[in-house]
Amino acid sequence: MMRDFEPDVVIVGSGASGGMTAYVLAQAGIKVLMLEAGRHYDPTTETPMLNWERDAPLAGVSTPDKPFGFYDATVDGGWQVPGEPYTMAPGSKFKWWRARMLGGRTNHWARHVPRFGPYDFKPYSRDGLGVDWPVSYDDVAPYYDKVEQLIGVHGKTSGLENQPGSNYFLPPPKPRVPELLYAAAAKSLNIPCVESPRAILTRDMPHPHAPRSKCFFASPCGRGCSIGAAFQTPTSLLPMAMGTGNLRIVTDAMVHTVKTDRDGRATGVLYFDKKTGREHFAKARVVVLAASACESARLLLNSGIGNSSGQVGRNLMDSTGTDLAAHVPALEGRPRYNEDGNSQEHLFIPWWLYKEQKAGLLDFPRGYHFEIGGGFDMPDGDFGLGGNEDGYGAKLKEDARRYYGAVVWISLRGEMIPNANSYCEIDPTVKDRYGIPVLRFHWKWSDHEIRQIAHGQKTARALFDKMGARVLTPDKPPEQAIADGGVIIHEVGTTRMGDKPSNSVVNQYCQSWDVPNLFVVDGGVMASQAHKNPTLTILALSWRGTDRMVEQMRKHEI
Amino acid sequence: MSGSELSRRQTMAWMLAASAALATGPHAKIARAATGPVPAAQGYGTDPNLMQPKAPWPLTLSPAQREEIRIAADLIIPGDEHSPSAGSLHIDSFIDEWVSAPYPRQQADAKIVLAGLDWLDAESKRRFGTNFAGATDAQRRQIFDDIAWRGKVAAGTGEGAEFFGKLRQLVMAGFYTLPEGIADIGYKGNSPIMGDYPGPSPEALAHLRGKLKELGLPDVTT
Repeated sequence: MMRDFEPDVVIVGSGASGGMTAYVLAQAGIKVLMLEAGRHYDPTTETPMLNWERDAPLAGVSTPDKPFGFYDATVDGGWQVPGEPYTMAPGSKFKWWRARMLGGRTNHWARHVPRFGPYDFKPYSRDGLGVDWPVSYDDVAPYYDKVEQLIGVHGKTSGLENQPGSNYFLPPPKPRVPELLYAAAAKSLNIPCVESPRAILTRDMPHPHAPRSKCFFASPCGRGCSIGAAFQTPTSLLPMAMGTGNLRIVTDAMVHTVKTDRDGRATGVLYFDKKTGREHFAKARVVVLAASACESARLLLNSGIGNSSGQVGRNLMDSTGTDLAAHVPALEGRPRYNEDGNSQEHLFIPWWLYKEQKAGLLDFPRGYHFEIGGGFDMPDGDFGLGGNEDGYGAKLKEDARRYYGAVVWISLRGEMIPNANSYCEIDPTVKDRYGIPVLRFHWKWSDHEIRQIAHGQKTARALFDKMGARVLTPDKPPEQAIADGGVIIHEVGTTRMGDKPSNSVVNQYCQSWDVPNLFVVDGGVMASQAHKNPTLTILALSWRGTDRMVEQMRKHEI
Repeated sequence: MSGSELSRRQTMAWMLAASAALATGPHAKIARAATGPVPAAQGYGTDPNLMQPKAPWPLTLSPAQREEIRIAADLIIPGDEHSPSAGSLHIDSFIDEWVSAPYPRQQADAKIVLAGLDWLDAESKRRFGTNFAGATDAQRRQIFDDIAWRGKVAAGTGEGAEFFGKLRQLVMAGFYTLPEGIADIGYKGNSPIMGDYPGPSPEALAHLRGKLKELGLPDVTT
C-alpha cells in the first residue's frame, strides 16, 4: 500500500510526541509514515462547539461509554478500550486512560503547561530520591522556548522559585471572581496564586496549512476545539507537517511489533489494519515510538528489544491527586456575568515551600500544585446546589438562584517518586482482540505520596477556612483520599532516559541504548514526574531528540 | 429562543406527546407492558456522533408514570415571574430518558424512581382514597411536606424521602439545563466573545470587594 511513498521514518502514534516528531522531520525534508491505532478524527467538523448539555443524552453526564461526559472529545477510549483490556496484579489499583483517534490524548486535556524548573531535572541531587535526568533545565530551555512559540501558550512569568516563566507567553485572560477569592485567601496565608500557563491561543496564529484562531471564551476545551485555539495535534502539528508533503498518515493501524535485523537494528514495524484485519510491514530507516508511555513500553516488551537495562515498564509514575469541593457563602447570590473564560482555570497555586522543604520542616519530599475552579458553570445533568437542595416549590427556585455559582473546588496534583512496586509488564496469558499480549499493572503509593496528600488536604482546608467556606468533600484519611494510580492521566517513566545504558532505556535524545535507530519520544522517557503536567516537557524533549535524529540521519550514523 | 435553537429534548418531548396520545388507544396495554422487564438496552457506545446526539435506548415509562412525574415536577419547580414550571417544559421526557438508560448509575436511580412513583400513588390512596394524579394540589403538598424537607421527614416515610430527593435532583437537572432554567439562574456563558476575555463585570467585582472586606481578606481585585 506504500508503493508510492517510501518513508525514511515510521512513527507509532499521533499525539503530542508523535505530532512533534513528525513536524520536525517533515520540515527537515524527511519522509515520515505515521501509524495511528485509532480512527481518523477531524476537530474542525466533529467538535460540538457551543452545543448545550440538554441536547446530549442524559444532559451530558459521565457514563461508562464516555467517562468525561457525552461531549468529551475522546473517541473509542476512556478507562477501557473495547476489545483491548489491561490487567492488574492482585492488590494493585491502576486505571489507564487511552484514546483511539488521530491526535491521541491531545484532543482531551486541560492544556496546563508549566515548565519543569532546574530542580525538577536534578531531583536526586536535591533529596537523594529517584534519579537525576541526563539533561538540565538549561539543555531543555531552548526547546521550551521553541515549543511555546509553535503551539501558543498564554501565561505570565511569576518569578517564583523553580517556576520558570517564558518570553513567549500570549496575554493571559483576566481572573474570575472565584479565582480572585482564592488569590485573596492564599495571599493571607502567604501562598502564591498566579496565572496558569495554558496551551490556549489568546491571539490568532496564522499558518498556510493550519491556521488557528484565538479563543472565543466559550465551549469547554475537553470537547476539543474546532477553531484550533486549544492545542491538539490534528489542528496544528499534523496539518503543518502534511503541508510539506513529507508526512503520510495511516489510521486504524494497530502496531504490535518492532522488527529488527541480525545486527539488532530496527527495520520497521508490523501492524494490523483494523478495517481489514490484515497484517502489514512498514519498513523504515528509523522507528519512532510515540504511542504513550505504557503503550510504547508494551511494544518494546512484546518485541523483545531495547530492554538490556531491565527498566522497560519500570519506574511507572502518575501525578498524585485528590479533589476537595466547598460551598462558599461569600459567593452566594452574586452579580451574574459570563464566567466561562477559557473553560480552564486562569489562576493556579504553584508549589511554594521549597525553602521550608530544604530546611527539613516538611515530612515529605517534592511538591504539589493546586488547580482551582468553580463558579457559574454551564449546567448539565449533574446540576446541583452543593448540598443545599431542600424542599420544593418557590423556595427551591429561590435557593437555586442564591446558591448557583457558590461551589468551588481544589484539585491537588503532586509529584510521585518512582518506586519498585509501581510498574507494568506483559500479562502472561491475557491478549487483546488482535491477539497482542496486554499489560499488567502493579501499583503502590509510598509514604512520600501519602504524607504529601495529607499536607495538601490541610492546606486546602486552610484556604477554604479563610474563604469562609464549608467543605463538601467527606474528610478521608490521605491513603483513602489519594486517587488511584493512572487516574490523573500523567503516566510517565516506563522507558526513562539516563546517562548510562545500565539504568535507563534511552539516552538524553530519546534514542534507545540498544537499538540506535529506534527512538521512544513519549512521556515514557521522563526520569521524574515533577508535579507538573507533562505535555510541554514531552513536546520539548521529543523536539530535542528529533533534532539529534535528523543530524544523525544526515551523517548516515543511523 | 429561535426555531433553530430548539433542543433535541424539546423536539423529542413533542414527538413523545404524539406517541403518548397514540398509546391511549388500543395499544395502550402494550405500552404499559413495556415497563416490565425489558431486553438489555444498548448505550450510545464509545464513538457516538457528537454533532447529532442521540440516546438510542427505548423509553420505558408508561403514560401514567410520565403524568405523575409531570405533576410532581410542577410542584417541585412551579411557574413564577422568572420561568415556567418544570412539568410544562416536559421534564418527564428527560426523566424517562434517564431511568430508561442502560448505565449502572441510571439503573440504580430507576429503581428508586419507579418504586417511589408506586409509593406516591399508594400513599395518596391510603390518605385520600385516590392515586397521586387524582389528588388535589393541597393533598399532594401534604405528602411532599412529609418527605421533602431536611430534618423534617415524617416517621415511616424514609422510602418516600429518598425517592423525593432523587426526583428533585432529576427535575432540577432537567429544568436548569433548558433555556428557561438557564435564563432563570442567569448562566451567561456558552456565548462567544470576540475580543479579549473581559473578566468580571464592575458589579461582580464590587460585590467581591465587599465580601473580601467582610472576610478580612486582602483586596486582590486591583
